Amino acid sequence: MADRIVDAKGMACPMPVVKAKKAMDELQSGQILEVLATEKGSLKDIPAWAGKSGHEVLETAEENGVFRFVIKKG
Amino acid sequence: MGSMYSITVEELHRRMEAGEELLLLDVRNEEEYSDWKIEGRTIRSVNIPYFDFLEEDERVYADLPKDKDIVVVCAKGGASDFVAEQLAERGHRAGSLKDGMLAWSQYYTPVVVHEDEKMKLIQINRLAKGCLSYAIVSDGKGMIIDPSKDIEVYTELAREHQFTIEHVVDSHLHADHISGGIKLAEAAGAAYYLSSQEAKGTALKFEPLERHKRIQVGDVHVEVLSIPTPGHTPGSTSFLIDNRFMLSGDTIFVGGLGRPDLGGKAKEWAEDLYHTVFVTLKDLPDDCLVLPGHYSDIREMNDQGIVGERLGTIRANNAIMRNDDKTSFTEQVAASVSMEKPPNFEDIVAINRGELQVDFDKAVELEIGPNRCAVHHHG
Repeated sequence: MADRIVDAKGMACPMPVVKAKKAMDELQSGQILEVLATEKGSLKDIPAWAGKSGHEVLETAEENGVFRFVIKKG
Repeated sequence: MGSMYSITVEELHRRMEAGEELLLLDVRNEEEYSDWKIEGRTIRSVNIPYFDFLEEDERVYADLPKDKDIVVVCAKGGASDFVAEQLAERGHRAGSLKDGMLAWSQYYTPVVVHEDEKMKLIQINRLAKGCLSYAIVSDGKGMIIDPSKDIEVYTELAREHQFTIEHVVDSHLHADHISGGIKLAEAAGAAYYLSSQEAKGTALKFEPLERHKRIQVGDVHVEVLSIPTPGHTPGSTSFLIDNRFMLSGDTIFVGGLGRPDLGGKAKEWAEDLYHTVFVTLKDLPDDCLVLPGHYSDIREMNDQGIVGERLGTIRANNAIMRNDDKTSFTEQVAASVSMEKPPNFEDIVAINRGELQVDFDKAVELEIGPNRCAVHHHG
């Protein structure tokens, strides 16, 4: 179970990463953030951002055009 | 404190052409940037992903100049607006490229290569893809070679230069971009030509190129060269005007030869390429200007903005074109083959074969990325 869910469906770049970043700032190390997005750019940008910020992407999935990322705060 | 401004691809290109020293700040992720970016002779480009600007860390701005114009670029223009605003707030002179690489991928610039009383030869350069198409114009009539999917580029060109499009040709079945050949021919009421070998197994409606020794455009005879001129793909065709201009498709580039591997038969096609270079093109004069279908490096463009080179210079610069030993030629070409295919080439080929239909957004998405059709350049 995620500690926090960010729903960025329908939002264009850069908003999904902006929202994810804001939510992540409020979590503690080891907690889980789930991000939902329809922006295709997210598919590469979310993992790239997470990797650079020291977080770990546990899962990436796509269902009906919605991308789901499960990220553990580093 | 300034505010950020928006800049169109047309304006960016104009400023690049004027030789302005611009700093392009590309804020896409590193993978996208290393794959494909805007290049120019006077611009410097740096990559800092936009999410680095989300951190409250001012060091990211430290290396960015305040005395130079910065143009921020991203995929579609959203992230670049955001970054340009951050920059402007800190006193940088920053513009955001409107619609980003999406707009850049659909930007075309026509250059008149040659003009005399009989004809005009125009090269249409799609800068982002390194794709070139051509218009041969004579006596109010025109022939378009290798048009891309954005056909209004050519209908507008015809209006501007006052000609009617009578002939539309694809030099081969393209693997790297979506052809606008059939669509343009239909829109202009022109004939559409393709080599039968390229169209094999498709339901495409076309006039077989191999049935024409030459195609008349106004007062100009365009020679359909050695049908087919194989090499890149088996039915690849080149076009010759008065032994002075060779529109080489993907057979010969400014920097070298085409890659024969895209059909999975590198060795056989390398042999065809040998035939092209040492039999078909053998008697063409050194001062014949080769005008290719693609380029992959900004250095292939000359000071007039034309991508083209004298055949003699290409021969002199490419050891492989002087190697008339067939066995070692084919071995060398086959060995130089890269495993890197153009992005999405299977879908693009299917579309160009008329077997797959996609909407505009999907077409744009499939075409985004660099061109990878030449064996090697500057080797």
